[in-house]
Amino acid sequence: MTIFWCEDSLDGILTGIYDAWDSRLGHSNVRLKTDAQDTLELFCENRQVETDMGKAEKVLRTIRERLGEEAFEAVCYAAACTDSGRADAIYRMVVLGLHMKDGRQVVNCLQNPDVSLVMRLRIKAWHEAHRFLGFVRFEELENGVLYSAIEPAYAVLPLMAPHFADRFRQENWVIHDKRRGLLAVHPKGSCWVLADAGELHLSSLTRRSPREEEFKELWKSFCKSIAIGERTNPRCQQGLLPLRFRGCMTEFQEI
Amino acid sequence: MQVRISEQLSLMEKLNILSDAAKYDVACTSSGINRGNTGKGVGNCVEAGICHSFSADGRCISLLKILLTNECIYNCRYCLNRSSNDVPRAAFTPQEICDLVMGFYRRNYIEGLFLSSGIVKSPSYTMELLYATLFKLRHECGFGGYIHVKAIPGADPRLIERTGYLADRMSVNLELPTAEGLRRLAPNKSRTRILTPMRQVQNRMQENQNEVALYRNAPRFVPAGQSTQMIIGATPENDFQIVSVAESLYQRFALKRVFYSAFVRVNEDSLLPALPGGPPLLREHRLYQADWLLRYYGFQASELLSEERPNFNVLLDPKCDWALRHLENFPVEINRADYGTLLRVPGIGVRSAQRIVKARRLGNLDFPDLKRMGVVLKRALYFITCRGRTMYPIRIEEDYITRNLLSVKERLPLGLDGQVTYRQLSLFDDMNVSLPPGA
Repeated sequence: MTIFWCEDSLDGILTGIYDAWDSRLGHSNVRLKTDAQDTLELFCENRQVETDMGKAEKVLRTIRERLGEEAFEAVCYAAACTDSGRADAIYRMVVLGLHMKDGRQVVNCLQNPDVSLVMRLRIKAWHEAHRFLGFVRFEELENGVLYSAIEPAYAVLPLMAPHFADRFRQENWVIHDKRRGLLAVHPKGSCWVLADAGELHLSSLTRRSPREEEFKELWKSFCKSIAIGERTNPRCQQGLLPLRFRGCMTEFQEI
Repeated sequence: MQVRISEQLSLMEKLNILSDAAKYDVACTSSGINRGNTGKGVGNCVEAGICHSFSADGRCISLLKILLTNECIYNCRYCLNRSSNDVPRAAFTPQEICDLVMGFYRRNYIEGLFLSSGIVKSPSYTMELLYATLFKLRHECGFGGYIHVKAIPGADPRLIERTGYLADRMSVNLELPTAEGLRRLAPNKSRTRILTPMRQVQNRMQENQNEVALYRNAPRFVPAGQSTQMIIGATPENDFQIVSVAESLYQRFALKRVFYSAFVRVNEDSLLPALPGGPPLLREHRLYQADWLLRYYGFQASELLSEERPNFNVLLDPKCDWALRHLENFPVEINRADYGTLLRVPGIGVRSAQRIVKARRLGNLDFPDLKRMGVVLKRALYFITCRGRTMYPIRIEEDYITRNLLSVKERLPLGLDGQVTYRQLSLFDDMNVSLPPGA
C-alpha cells in the first residue's frame, strides 16, 4: 500500500489524484490522505505530493468533461470540507466515473460508499456556504470599503465570493476568513481575487464610517422588535442559527 | 380624517413601531426568482432565497419587514393597528425607507424589502404611496434586490399593475379562511374585494409570461409569484376547511405559497377566542406539513382529511396519518415502485425519492444505502421493502405501527407524548377522583 499525502486544499487533492493514477501502482494499492496529523501506518510506503497547479488543472478539466458539471461541482464543494476521508473518496469517485460507460452517471451511483460520501460532503459544504451568504455582516470603513470577518468551519470563502461579486458589483468589499487567514477582495467593477491576509495591513480596517454605528443600532432594534413575544422559541432559533455563527453577526454582539 | 401621526419621531422610533406592527405578517421568504445584477445598481436575487438571521421566535429574517404606516381607517378586530386601538402611530417617508433598505442591504443584513401598510385615507391613496416608494427604490437608488409588496384590496387596478412591475412578489392577505369569519372580525373587508386583486395579479402574470417568451427584455410582472396568508384559530373553522381553501387557492389562483399564521390575541375583544395555551402553534405546524404535501407530494385535501375527520391528528404528522389509514398500499418495494408512490412513504421526501429513482438504475438498493441517502428509516421501515425484505420482522398492522412510530420521540406538547402527566395532589382541589363503591 502506498499512501499519497496531499496538501489540504482542492489543488492539493487534485494533484494527489494525478500522482496516484500516474504512479501505475494499481488503484487498490494506493490511498490518498490530506491530514498530516494522521497516524502513520506500518507496512506502507509514504509519498509526499507536491501541489502542482498544472496537474490539478488537468484533473479538474477531465472531471468536468468526462464526469459532467454536477460531479465537477461536487468535487469542488467536497474538497472544501474537513472530513479526513474526502481525498480518497474523491479519488475513488473519479476512478469509478472514468470506468463507467457514461461518466455523468457517477453522481447518481449512491450505492457506492465513496460517491455517497462525496455527495454528502458536497451538501454539507454547500449548506455552510449558503448559510454564510446570509450571515456575513459588512461594516463600512471610513473610505467606503465594505469589510466583513467570518470564521467558517469549512473553506467556503471561494464558494461564496462569486455571489457577493455579483451582488455588490459597484462596491469595494473584503471578506476575511479569520480561521484560514484568507481574504476575498473585490475592487469596484472588476473581478474578485483571493489573497493571503498576512500580506495586508489590517490596521486600516478598524476605522469605521460615521454612519456605521447608527445602522448597527437600527438593525439590532429591528431584530428585537420583529420577534413575536408569544411565540418565543430559543431552541428553534438555535437550531437554525447555531451559536458558532453568532460571534461575527452584528445583532448578537453586545455593547 | 384626523391624522394622528406625530412628526417628531426619530428614525429609530419609527422603525421600532412599524416593524413591531408588521411582525404578525408571516411571509418573509425571498425565494422564487434568480436575477443577476444589472451592472448599474446594487443587488441580485437568488432562487432558493437566503435567510439572513433568525429572530428569538425562530422565524427567519430575510426581508426588512415594515409597514409604510400603521395608521389605518379599518377596524379589524384581530389587528393591533385597528383604528379604535390607542397605539403610537408613525409613518415612513419614501426617502426614509430607501435609506434604510440601501443601508441594510449594503451591509448584507437583509435580502430585500417587505412593504405593507395600514390603510390611510383610501386603498388607492395607500397603494399610490407604496408605488411611489418602490419607484424611488428601484429607479433612483438602483435597488436590484428582492421586494415583496402588499396589493391593497379595493385599490385602483392600474396602480396595482404598475406596482407589480416593480415588485418581485405580491400578496393579498385572505386574513380568514371563510367569508363568514371575515364578516364577523373584519367588517370593512369582504371576500370578493380580496379575491379581485388576487385574480388580477394572476391574469397579468400569465399574460406577462407570454410577453417574456416573445420579447426577452419585456418587463417582468411579479416574477416570483404571489402569496397569501390566513389566520388560524381566530374563527371556528376546522382544518379540513382551511386545507380545502388552500388547495383551491393553489389550483384556481396559481398561488406560490399560502401562509398560516397562528392567531395571537393582541386585542381584548369579545368576538375573539381566549387562548389560554398561547397561539395554536402545533395546529399551524400540522397545516404547514399538509401544505407541503399538497404542493410537492401530489396529495389532495380530500385524501388527508374529510368531513368526518375534519382535524389533523395531534400525535402524528399528516403523511404518517394518511399512510396508517391506507396500509393496503404498503409495503412498497424500493427498487421498483414509481416516483409518485415513493413520495407517499413516510420518511421519504422529495430529495431522497429523487435520489432513489436515479440510483436504482445503477444497481440494487439496500437499507444502509437508503440511510446514507437521507431516508428517515425510523419512520420508513414500516412501509418499505428492499429486494422483497423488510428491515426487521414487522407486522403491517395499524396499532402495531402507530405504537412504534409514537415511541420515537417527536417533540410534542407536554402530556401528549406519553410522558408523565400526573401531578401533585392538593387537599383543597377537586381532582375529579370518585370513591370506589363501598369504600
